[in-house]
Amino acid sequence: MTTGKIKLTSSEGTEFVIDKDVGEKSILLKNMLEDVGENDMAIPLPNVTGPILTKVIEYCTHHRDDPVITQDDDSKKTSDDIDEWDSEFCKVDQGTLFELILAANYLDIKPLLDLTCKTVANMIKGKSPEEIRKTFNITNDFTPEEEMQVKHENEWCEERTT
Amino acid sequence: LAELLNTCNTEQLVFVSNYISPRLKRDFLKDLPIEISLHILSFIDDPRTLSRASSVSKFWRSLLNDDYTWKNLCARHHYYFHNKRCNSNSNNSSSLLLESSNSNSRCVRFSYKDHFRRRYVVESNWKNGGRTLKTHISPDSGVVTSLQMCENFIVVGMDNKKIHVFGASNGRYVKTLTGHEGGVWALQYFDEILVSGGCDRDVRVWNLITGQCKHVLHGHTSTVRSLKMKNSKIAVSGSRDTTLRIWDIEEGRMLHLLAGHQASVRCIEIYENLIVSGSYDCTARVWDMSTGQCLHVLQGHFSQIYSIAFDGQKIVTGSLDATARVWSAQTGRCLGVLQGHTSLVGQMQLHESTLVTGGSDGAIRIWDLETNQCVHRIAAHDNSVTCLQFDDKRIVSGGNDGHVKLWDVQTGSFIRELTTQGNAVWRLAFNDTKAVILLQRESKTVMEVLDFDECDHLSVECDDTWN
Repeated sequence: MTTGKIKLTSSEGTEFVIDKDVGEKSILLKNMLEDVGENDMAIPLPNVTGPILTKVIEYCTHHRDDPVITQDDDSKKTSDDIDEWDSEFCKVDQGTLFELILAANYLDIKPLLDLTCKTVANMIKGKSPEEIRKTFNITNDFTPEEEMQVKHENEWCEERTT
Repeated sequence: LAELLNTCNTEQLVFVSNYISPRLKRDFLKDLPIEISLHILSFIDDPRTLSRASSVSKFWRSLLNDDYTWKNLCARHHYYFHNKRCNSNSNNSSSLLLESSNSNSRCVRFSYKDHFRRRYVVESNWKNGGRTLKTHISPDSGVVTSLQMCENFIVVGMDNKKIHVFGASNGRYVKTLTGHEGGVWALQYFDEILVSGGCDRDVRVWNLITGQCKHVLHGHTSTVRSLKMKNSKIAVSGSRDTTLRIWDIEEGRMLHLLAGHQASVRCIEIYENLIVSGSYDCTARVWDMSTGQCLHVLQGHFSQIYSIAFDGQKIVTGSLDATARVWSAQTGRCLGVLQGHTSLVGQMQLHESTLVTGGSDGAIRIWDLETNQCVHRIAAHDNSVTCLQFDDKRIVSGGNDGHVKLWDVQTGSFIRELTTQGNAVWRLAFNDTKAVILLQRESKTVMEVLDFDECDHLSVECDDTWN
């Protein structure tokens, strides 16, 4: 395992120095480093703000020794398998969570993307439409007729899962 | 800003809080790139949440109508498309679920959501719904010996020499095939060709559409106890006379006589060019269908063989010695002895690496043939298990105790009884949406066709008589 350091610059121009193996949790950075080779130039990340990058680095540092999961079995996907540290990590306001999802996607950190998406999934699970709207501050833009129609479309599910 | 807030009273702070907090919220699914939104939805495996979510807003509805999510959900719930052909007697007769709805509406775009919805409704009907599509009650109390249900027909063989044919879609009585001079003990159909055999030692070939008997094949010198068709041209019969015979059922002539067993041939399975037979001589044999040669003699059981399963690679035999044995079809070697039943292993079905056996001890055992270990042991019936069938989701079993029970094949747990208790269950078969049960109830022979498909509470037809 290499012990080298890499430099990153957030969108505001703040410089972050992190261990190379932490940075390589990001497939984007890993590929960049492979392309560029040994180099102490800072890598600019114009899509990621300083506070978000701090969170991302916190995540990658905690998970630096995790085995790389190459294959994911879609049939086993669940949002109920979040460990305590991860769930604490995701206790942030929705704006931050939103930015984290985008950053994880941009930096290509699959486990972080899954974690943050699971967190959102858990915010949706088991809720009524009205509760979901309240959770995410969404306006009900259906006309009463449309609302009836949607309700009718979904009856098959409601009456059976009791 | 902090200073400003410090000067506010509670009322003002509540106002500020109510003003701000919605602004801190995000409509994730709408604001994120669509592939990430779908990724979020892929973590939700509860269809009710998904359907509720579609009533949130116009955007959510359109997103949730995206087939990706439902395709995912179909995969998660194992709602695959069955394309298996039904060609074995009461085994693996799972038919294409969407067939009826799709064949007459081929121009309609296929939707995973609709597929999911239908499967979901069918699944929940299996668990706690469904309806009796049709009930037939026989005036006499004939014993049902054989049953097959596929796309078009339900065919029932009786020990009173008769073969009854019913429509598979509606369960209605179609016709009775008469001609056998003794009890019918084995039958199978493939497309419109039916082959049957029994106590009169003859094998009969019928056309199911016309009801005409095309051939009467003489040769066996004792009861025909087992019968399997390769296709609509070739059939193999096994008899109490210790032989098997391979027939050209198109031409109506015998192709090969397979001699070697020392006692009654009780069960047969075929796979492509291979025939396996289980006998009361305690051995099973592997035969080449095209040459009629015996390739292997499988020795190991200490008592009669009553049941056999074969997937082309592995052969499983069930015996009165209370064990099942796994054999390699290629080498004829015994790969494992499955111990656990305390009496005759009379029922079995093999699918992929899962074997389900039913015994005269009333137990059902689920085995993993990768390890030859028993995964679940179910105390299923008070008396012999007389029939069983399983698919990816469920096991249906019938017993001499008159119960028909539904089990979860993954966990081995009991789900429910499928019908009112009778005196004894003769035979059963099911596919994705239907089950047919033949049992004795109040000393009458009763056939029930259960339907688990979506229904508009159609009236139940029942109580018509068949002879």
